[in-house]
Amino acid sequence: MTEFWGWLEMLPLAGRIGESWWFPLLESIHVLTAMFVVGSILWVDLRLLGASGMRYAASRFTKELVSWTWGAFAIALISGFGMFMTRASWYVLNRAFQIKLLLLVLAAANMVLFHIWGARGIGQWDHGRPALHARIAGAASLVIWAGVTLAGRWTGHLS
Amino acid sequence: MAQPFLEFARSLAQSGAHDVAVDWLRNVPGLPPIMQTAHLLSIAVVLGSTVLLSLRTLGLAVPSQLPQEMARRFSPWTWGALPILLISGAIFVLARPQRYFTNPVFGIKVALFLPALVLAGLLYRELKQSDAIGPRARVLAGLNLLAWTAIVLAGRWIAYADYLFPPE
Repeated sequence: MTEFWGWLEMLPLAGRIGESWWFPLLESIHVLTAMFVVGSILWVDLRLLGASGMRYAASRFTKELVSWTWGAFAIALISGFGMFMTRASWYVLNRAFQIKLLLLVLAAANMVLFHIWGARGIGQWDHGRPALHARIAGAASLVIWAGVTLAGRWTGHLS
Repeated sequence: MAQPFLEFARSLAQSGAHDVAVDWLRNVPGLPPIMQTAHLLSIAVVLGSTVLLSLRTLGLAVPSQLPQEMARRFSPWTWGALPILLISGAIFVLARPQRYFTNPVFGIKVALFLPALVLAGLLYRELKQSDAIGPRARVLAGLNLLAWTAIVLAGRWIAYADYLFPPE
């Protein structure tokens, strides 16, 4: 695996990004899109908590929002990978970056579990106060995404 | 940069607030990334409210949500995030005023900030009145989208201003 990270860093593209204005460009795009991801997921989480947007059906509310969230997430992922490849073997050893990846896995697991449970029984609460498992998923998501942001920002502070 | 700004930066550097900011950022463990995260999360709230509302107004997002209701639901979030945004940003400016007030990208960011606030306020006011979206609301939404996107991008470029404005 160590060789693979070294190989990534040696790619001409990685050198190009790391030594030019491409890096700050990718970084600024990453911040913009990642914060849009967090800002749009906020509404989904609040709806799942039963705290906001209660006049809309949870299913449709979530579906419409999440298409924008996914689009922004894809750009954040690509721009993040562009930065990652410039110093891949440094990033994989960076404790904050490791925590960030772990939290992203948790966010995905939270989403998958919610979809498995949510598929059953959403009809009962789609127009009202969400079931307990939905509220737990919403609260977990809020905490996890704040953690992803903190760990992401902390990555740049470790040497 | 213009003389008044430099003088302002110098007087900030001599103030007690400067000493406090420097002391805290140096001595409170983890404070710099924590403050930056507070700044980032308040940016997330501003993007999730004004930008999403702008996208909705332009007919690009969340078609089943009602603009008037969205404006009412979002505006406390936008204005509520502002104090956190300003305080978490100000602590870094106070700690190194000369760095920021000689930085042209910081100048761009600050110059865009007030118009962006006015645009957000006008868009909220417009949409709170009715669900019908007129040309005025659309223009405001487009300008909002541009202004806030530029501010967030500029924020990250402050650290890389030399690429854009090479030192002579």
